[in-house]
Amino acid sequence: MLQRFLDPAVLAGISGLDLIAKTVVQGFIAGLHRSPDFGFSQEFAEYRAYTPGDDLRHVDWNVYARTERAYLKRYRGETNTRLTLLLDASSSMGYSSHSVSKIDYARYLAASLFYLANQQRDAAGMLVFDDEVRAFFRPSTRQGQLMRLLHGLEGAEPRARTDFAKPFLHVQDFLKRRGLVVVISDFYEDPERAVRTVEPLHFRGNDLVLFHVLDPKEIRPALRDPVILVDMETRESMEVAPEYAHVEYPEKFDAHVALLKEKARRAGIGYFLLPTDRPLDEALREYLGIRQGRM
Amino acid sequence: MGFLAPWFFAGLAALGLPVYIHLLRRHRTTPQPFSSLMFFERRTQSSIRHRRLRYLLLWALRMLLLFLLALAFANPFVTGVSPAERERTLLVVAVDASFSMREGDRLERARREAVRVLGGRSASGQAQVIAFDSQVRVLTQPTVDPGELRAAVETIRAGDARGSYGELGRALRSIAQSSRLPLEVHLISDMQKSSLPASFSDLRLPAQARLTPHPVVSRPAPNWAVENVAAPGSIADPKKARVLATVAGYQTPAARRNVSLVANNRVLATKSVDVPAGGRVAVEFLTLDVPYGFNRAEVRLESGDALREDDRFLFAVERSDPRRVLFVHEARDTRAALYFRAALAAAAESSFLLEEVVVEQTAGLQPARYAFVVLSDVLSLPAAFEDALRQYVRTGGSLWIAAGAASARRPRLPVVDEAVLESRYYARSAERFQTVGNLDPAHPSIRRAGRWEGVKFYQVTRLAPGQARVVARLTDGTPLLVEKQVTEGRVLVFASTFDNISNDFPLHPVWVPFVEQTARYLAGLESRASNITVDSFVELRSVREKGVAVEVIDPEGRRPLALKDAASLQTYQLMREGYYELRRANGRHGMVAANPDRRESDLTTMAEETLALWQKTGAESAAAASGGAEQRRVRGLWWYAMLAVLATAMAESLFANRYLHVEEEEAA
Repeated sequence: MLQRFLDPAVLAGISGLDLIAKTVVQGFIAGLHRSPDFGFSQEFAEYRAYTPGDDLRHVDWNVYARTERAYLKRYRGETNTRLTLLLDASSSMGYSSHSVSKIDYARYLAASLFYLANQQRDAAGMLVFDDEVRAFFRPSTRQGQLMRLLHGLEGAEPRARTDFAKPFLHVQDFLKRRGLVVVISDFYEDPERAVRTVEPLHFRGNDLVLFHVLDPKEIRPALRDPVILVDMETRESMEVAPEYAHVEYPEKFDAHVALLKEKARRAGIGYFLLPTDRPLDEALREYLGIRQGRM
Repeated sequence: MGFLAPWFFAGLAALGLPVYIHLLRRHRTTPQPFSSLMFFERRTQSSIRHRRLRYLLLWALRMLLLFLLALAFANPFVTGVSPAERERTLLVVAVDASFSMREGDRLERARREAVRVLGGRSASGQAQVIAFDSQVRVLTQPTVDPGELRAAVETIRAGDARGSYGELGRALRSIAQSSRLPLEVHLISDMQKSSLPASFSDLRLPAQARLTPHPVVSRPAPNWAVENVAAPGSIADPKKARVLATVAGYQTPAARRNVSLVANNRVLATKSVDVPAGGRVAVEFLTLDVPYGFNRAEVRLESGDALREDDRFLFAVERSDPRRVLFVHEARDTRAALYFRAALAAAAESSFLLEEVVVEQTAGLQPARYAFVVLSDVLSLPAAFEDALRQYVRTGGSLWIAAGAASARRPRLPVVDEAVLESRYYARSAERFQTVGNLDPAHPSIRRAGRWEGVKFYQVTRLAPGQARVVARLTDGTPLLVEKQVTEGRVLVFASTFDNISNDFPLHPVWVPFVEQTARYLAGLESRASNITVDSFVELRSVREKGVAVEVIDPEGRRPLALKDAASLQTYQLMREGYYELRRANGRHGMVAANPDRRESDLTTMAEETLALWQKTGAESAAAASGGAEQRRVRGLWWYAMLAVLATAMAESLFANRYLHVEEEEAA
C-alpha cells in the first residue's frame, strides 16, 4: 500500500515538491521497519556524560530524574555528511512517454534525497547544469536550506544541451570538503568521457553516485510505423524505421548502458539505472546504503 | 444477376473521396521529439514502402466499403440456383430420339452430350434420363447412380416416330408434379422446327424448371425425301393403276434425281426429275404391274443426302378381280344405269363390275355376292329380294337407294322403312330449280367431290331423316343425301335419280368422283389406305366384334399381340416403318405400310427467339407460382452485400484505429 506512494505516476498527482519529498521519505521509512539490515541515523546509539558546552536540548531528562546525573543521548545520525546533488537539466531530460518526464522524476528523486538529508541533518547542496552551470546551492544545514533547494528544483526547467566538462570543473572548485556527490542525468554522452569527467570528484574522497534516469521508451522504443524524430537537444531530425528501433537501437543502447556501468564500476563510482516508471525507494535505498558505508 | 435498384450505383461517385484522401492529398508526418538521436541511423527506404503499403491497404478497404454500400443499395439478385438448391434439384436429361436423329451422327453426338451433362452434375444430386419422340419414354427413375444413368443413355436409339416437344412439355410437367422438386432440364436435340406443337402453350415448362438446350447441329442439313405417295390400296387392272409420288427438297439446291417405283423388290419404272431448290416435284407412274394378292411396293429416291431413311416411301397394294355391283332399276329406266356405269368406268382406279338387272329379275339374286347394291328409283321389289336385301344390310352389306319420282309413290322406302313425305318438283324455267345448299365435307362421298355448285335439281323426294346422317341438303333445306346405319350395314339414300331428268347431276364433272368415292365407301375400299404414318392407329375390330381374335404381323415378321390383346384389342399403333399384315375381326386380311412422318424430313431448326421464349416459360411459371417458390428462384444478394459491408467496415475501423493509435503515440 505504501509502495504506491513511491510510484512516480502517483507522485505526479501531488503538487509541491516538499509534499512529494515528505510522502516519499515517510513512506520509505515506514517500509524500512521491516528491514533490520539498514540502520537509521535517528536511532539511539549510546549515552554520554554531559560536559559543559553541550547543548542542553539533548540532555535526557528522564535519566537525570532517576539518577540525578546529566546524560546526553547520542544518535548515529549525528555523524553528518555533505550531500551535493548535480542535476542535469538539459533539453533531453524533458522527454517523457507517460505522465512523468525524466526531469520530473529527477526532481522527485532530488527532493526526496534533500528531505532525507535534512532529516539526517546532513548538509545538502545542489548544482543545476546543462552545458553551463545554471544554478548552484552550496551545501549547508542552515535553516531554510531545504526550501531553497526545493525552490531551485522547481526552477530547473530543461533547456540547452548536456556538457559535463564545464559544470564539473566548476563544482570541483567549490567542493573543498569530502562528501557524497550524486549525479542525476540521462548521460547522453560518451561513457568514457562522462566517467572521466566526474572521476576527479571521486579522487578527492567524495563518494560518487550516478543516477541514470531514463524513460522506458528510450530503453525500448515502441515504434509501429516509420516516424520522423527530432533530437530535443540538437534539433536534428531523422526518419526512423520501426525495425531499426526494434532491433539495432536496443543493442546499441544496452551496450551504452553496460559500458557506462562498467566504466563507473572500474572507477569506484556507484551507478544506478532508474527508469522513470520505477518506484523511488530503490534510489533512496541506494543512497542510504552508500551513506551508511561512509559512517 | 440483376439489380432491383441500379440507380444507387450513382453512389459510386463517392469512390473519389478515398482517392482524394489517399492518393491526391499529400500526407504530412508530424515530427516527434526524442531525447537523443545518438543511437539512431538514417533508414528511409523501408519506412516509405511501409507507409505506402499501409495507406494503400486502408485506401483499398475504404474503396471496397463504398462499393459494397452502393452494391447493397442497388439490391442485387440472381435467378440461378444455389449449390444447396442444386442438391434439391432434379436433373432431367431429355434426349431426342425422333426420326430426324437418324441423320448423320446426330444421335451419337446426343448420347455423348448426355453423358457429359450427367458427368458434370454433383455426386449427390438426383438425375433422370428420358428419351422422347412422339411419346416420352422414362428410361430411369430419379437416381444418383451414375452407372444406371449412363447405361440408360447408351440404350437410346433413334426411332421412326415424329418428335414432339409438346409431349415433352407435358411429361416434364408430370415429372415436376410427381417429384415435387425443381427441375433442371437439359434438352439434347436437333431442335427441329417441325417438332414444335401447334399451340405454344403445350411447351410450357413446369414452375421452378430451368431449360438448358444442347443443340447437336449447328445448321440445318440439306435433305431430299419422298414426301408422299398416292397409290390405290387395291387394283383390278394394273394398266389403270396410277402412282403419284411427291419428291421434296428441304434446304436443298436445284438438282436432278432418279425416282423408281419398286414392287416386291423389283424395279417397275425409273424416272429422272429435276427437283427445284427447296421445292417439290411430282412424279407419276402410270402402271403398277403387280401379281394378285398383297404386294409390298415403294417409291425410291436416289438422294445422296445423310438421311437415307426418308428416301423411300412404302405402300401396300392388293391386286384382285373387280368387285361386282348390283344395279336394280325399273325396266323403263335405262338412263340411270348408263350414267352410273359410265361414271364407274371413268374412274381411273375403277375396280367395279356393274351388273344391271330390272326389278322383275331380282327374285333369285343373292345380294351377299355383291360389294354393294344400288336401287335406282324402284317402285316395288319382290318380297323375297327385299327380305334378302334387309338381311344383307343387317349383316354388314351396303345399299344405295336413289329415291326419285317412282319411289315417292311408296309410303316408305324399301329396306330402311323410312317414311316418304312427298315428292317436290321445281320448274325448269325461271331458274326455280334447287341447288345444293349444304354439304358435309367429312363424308367420304363428298370428301373428294365437293364442287356441286352448278348442279340443278328439278325433283326431289322429301324424306323424314330422323336419326340418319344428312350428308347434303338443298338450298330450301330438303335432305338430298342421307346415310343411315342399319345394324351392321349402311344405307345411303339419294333423294333424286341418277338420270338427267330429275336433275342434271350426271352431266357435271363432279358426278364421276361422287359415284366412284361413294362406291368405294360402300364397298369398304375407302378405308383401305395403301400407307399410313408411323404412330397412327389401325382399326382391328368394331365395338361389336368382341371375342374374335385378330392378328398383326409386324415388319420383322413377329406377332406383337399377346393372346389377351389379340382377343380384345380394338386398335393397334404402328410404331415402326415397314409393312404390317393385319387379320381383322371381320375376317378380312389386309396389308398396310407405315412411313415416318415426313415433317421429320424438314431438318430446319427452330428460331432462337422461339427457344428463348420456351426457356422463359419456366421463369414465368415460377413467377406465377407461390411466393415462397419465387423466393427460391430469385435470390436477393443485398443481405450478403450488407454482411460484406459490415465486415469491411470492421476491418477498416480496426486498421484505421491502429493507424491513428500509432499516430497518436508518435505524436506523444
